Amino acid sequence: MSDRTPLLRVRNLTVNFGSHRKQLSAVAGVSFDIFEGETLGLVGESGCGKSTTGKALMRIVEPTSGSIELEGTELTTTHGKALRNLRTRMQMIFQDPISSLNPRRRARDLVAEPLDCWKSVRGAERDALVNDLLNKVGIDPEIYGDRYARQFSGGQCQRISIARSLAMRPKLLICDEMVSALDVSVQAQILNLLVDLKREYGLALLFIAHDLAVVKYVSDRVAVMYLGKICEIGPADTLYDFPEHPYTEFLLGAALEADPDAPLRGDVLAGEPPSPTSPPSGCRFRTRCPFATDKCATEEPPLEEIVPGHRVACHYPLSLSAEANA
Amino acid sequence: MTDHPKLLVVKDLRTTFATPSGPLPAVGGVSFELGTNETLGIVGESGSGKTVLSRTIMGLQPRRNVEVTGSVLLKGFEVVGASEKEKRSIWGLEVAMIFQDPMTSLNPVMRIGKQIDEILRVRQGMDRRAAKARAVELLELVGIPSPAERYGVFPRELSGGMRQRVVIATALAGSPQLLMADEPTTGLDVTIQAQILNLLDSVKEQMKMSVVLVTHDLGVVATRTSRIIVMYAGRIVEIGSTREVFRRHRMPYTRALLDAIPKVSNPSHSRLVAIPGRPPNLLDLPTGCAFAPRCAYATDICRVQRPRLEPAEESGHAFACWNPLPVAEGALT
Amino acid sequence: MSSSLIVHEMVEEAHDRPARKKKLGVLFWICVGWLVLNFIGAIFANVLPLEDPLFQNYAVVNAGPSLHHLFGTDDLGRDIFARIVFGSRVSIEASLGSMLIGFGIGAPLGMLSAYRRGKFDSVVTAVMYVLLAFPAIIATIAVLSFWTPRSLLKIIIVVGVASIPLVYRVIRGATLNYSTRDFVVAAKVQGATDRRILMKELLPNVAPVGVSFLLIGIATVVTLEGALAFLGLSVNPPTPSWGNMINESISILQTNPWLAVFPSLAMCLFLLCLNFIGDRLRSHFEVSEGKI
Repeated sequence: MSDRTPLLRVRNLTVNFGSHRKQLSAVAGVSFDIFEGETLGLVGESGCGKSTTGKALMRIVEPTSGSIELEGTELTTTHGKALRNLRTRMQMIFQDPISSLNPRRRARDLVAEPLDCWKSVRGAERDALVNDLLNKVGIDPEIYGDRYARQFSGGQCQRISIARSLAMRPKLLICDEMVSALDVSVQAQILNLLVDLKREYGLALLFIAHDLAVVKYVSDRVAVMYLGKICEIGPADTLYDFPEHPYTEFLLGAALEADPDAPLRGDVLAGEPPSPTSPPSGCRFRTRCPFATDKCATEEPPLEEIVPGHRVACHYPLSLSAEANA
Repeated sequence: MTDHPKLLVVKDLRTTFATPSGPLPAVGGVSFELGTNETLGIVGESGSGKTVLSRTIMGLQPRRNVEVTGSVLLKGFEVVGASEKEKRSIWGLEVAMIFQDPMTSLNPVMRIGKQIDEILRVRQGMDRRAAKARAVELLELVGIPSPAERYGVFPRELSGGMRQRVVIATALAGSPQLLMADEPTTGLDVTIQAQILNLLDSVKEQMKMSVVLVTHDLGVVATRTSRIIVMYAGRIVEIGSTREVFRRHRMPYTRALLDAIPKVSNPSHSRLVAIPGRPPNLLDLPTGCAFAPRCAYATDICRVQRPRLEPAEESGHAFACWNPLPVAEGALT
Repeated sequence: MSSSLIVHEMVEEAHDRPARKKKLGVLFWICVGWLVLNFIGAIFANVLPLEDPLFQNYAVVNAGPSLHHLFGTDDLGRDIFARIVFGSRVSIEASLGSMLIGFGIGAPLGMLSAYRRGKFDSVVTAVMYVLLAFPAIIATIAVLSFWTPRSLLKIIIVVGVASIPLVYRVIRGATLNYSTRDFVVAAKVQGATDRRILMKELLPNVAPVGVSFLLIGIATVVTLEGALAFLGLSVNPPTPSWGNMINESISILQTNPWLAVFPSLAMCLFLLCLNFIGDRLRSHFEVSEGKI
């Protein structure tokens, strides 16, 4: 990629769950970079390990191996106080807006929570900052500041979560399915808000979602995950317009467009993802891939750059096969 | 529309819940008709009343604190006011329903084949052997691989997509004329969602039944339905053929909803047009149009008087709006 | 999902209006008032214009209620009213004291176990289950019969220790319910210390469960004292306690029914109020729980 030093550098991240006898490899060697101010989208179906990747970055689940570097500091070996310190630079927004806020606390206190943890600002300064944050996310602190979390709707809760995550001015925000529980009209509001605040705060985002359209809307680059591995990563528009991995192609084909004239594709991806406790040999997608050959079963395809910035893990990328056919 | 007698006729249906905070009109006067072998989409956000509407049509409402008025004629059977016993004569046989969460609609301690079996034996009066054969047949119809072996598995041993297939098979067991599907694919992965929707399409054709697809996702209804109802605050705000509603909608809410959805075909970072404000509070509805507080085109009359469903140019297309979008502007760009 | 659940959600959607203060009801406050009155009586029994509960006035033995002796006198001519007020001390001290031990040890352990999980949880839970497997009442009786001379403090210690695993189990369960929720993870991610998460995030959510269990615990200890008195294992006579008084009244029930009626009534009312308050509080908190 480029010579810039990335904000976040992830190399060979793996996360295994379970005991030694029955191991489930949720994330199986994932590598990517996120640069300052950039948004990387992470898409995939449920169980592909996208959420686990996000949680491993935040050290909510412990990575089994691999390296996570944030601004040159290795995260996987950090513990205790140093880890707490790092957490001011990375924040996370969760899927369930309602369960991610303590129902027995007031909006104002929820937003102030990180400030109070760190005692970075106190008194009037703290109150002013909290009011400012609430205003930024479109919640009037005068009217709503003293309401309890349980009195807010899903969209409002997500706004409060955003305000809370911005309090310590982090560099990187991990959004785990943050709009999937919201109504369409509210989802658009929250996405616009997120994009605006990202620009204002110069944030880098890791945007994890299953909705391809939503991911495309916010992301500069997109990574597609299947069964714990990244199978394709590249600039959002290129990846959506010219997918190289057969799985990406199928995923895009299955996405439902709100358009009555959208072509109904007959070739829907058959079958279901195999169990992550016993992933297939070689390419993990080969059991469902119509183009799979013997090579796919024996040799695992590496994530290779085919166009600058666009990498794909496939022995037969779609553009190359098209050339071969032509 | 067809000349066949209507399968379902809903007239001025109202479902009002008595809540501690006052009456809550979840469905506030809905009328529409459905022919045979037709797929109708009911779209709306949370609180639009789409789920309550589908349950009221089924005759599934809580026994207490609810008042249903109007009429639901299902093949000539009046559902409103019918007793549980009377309704049981149509449930499963004339109309069946599938729900969002397949796990809750299946009995977790009963083998999947048995669950289908039982319906066949109790409702269709089949003997044990015929029922089992038919159950395997149904499992095959809904695309369960090696159905004879899967007959004996428990729901927890299946994936979400497979469970939803089983639910569909149980719904088909009584050969209903009408299948009500309430968010059947919400919570499923995109590739599985496409499989299930294709399956619903194919069984609809094979069994010559009608399907009502209730969903919040305009993408789900766009290519799978012949007609759409758009609901807002318990009322129909626009109804018409799918193509017409998507291409030449007149109601600003329909437009706003379409604009608010991110589209895969749009370039990255294209701005979404969000609808300001929040979905309406059904306990405290404005006197005029419920969408007026969020509508860019609202005028004084919108805030005072509720618009009625007015027919548009194309027959069957109607909308409820005082300041409808001009036809040309309604076209999607 | 049932229709009522949908309605519930829709009512919850009725945002934008400040939540109406839910009333606890008059009866609730009457019950609280009665308990407070009991507590005041127990605390200030010495200062109140009461007769000496130990003074034996042989001039009025087994007298019925009168203006002079509100609830009458017992077979030794002692004032029943005074004995009931003084007797409430034993019940209240025993229940509060043992609950202090039970909650003081059981509750923090339960919260810690549920929050930390892992080995700590497994070990503590195992120990608690061993304690639970002991038939608590029989163990209590056995210990009290051998640990002589009996005193209120010993009863408190024995009952308190016996209640630790019960409190532990309830609090651990309640905490587990919350410790896996996203807001706890969110707090951790914000850099909150474990202590802060326990005190600020978990405690306020677990507290309602704790309070209602505390009320049940108090009621149980009050009845337990009655049962122990029956076996002659409560505080030594002549110290009055509700249990002792009821126990003593049995032998002369025919001659002086008042002796049985008033202490039983006192205990009964006390328990009734406790249970009612606990019930009310639970439903009060449960509704706001539904909003989560």
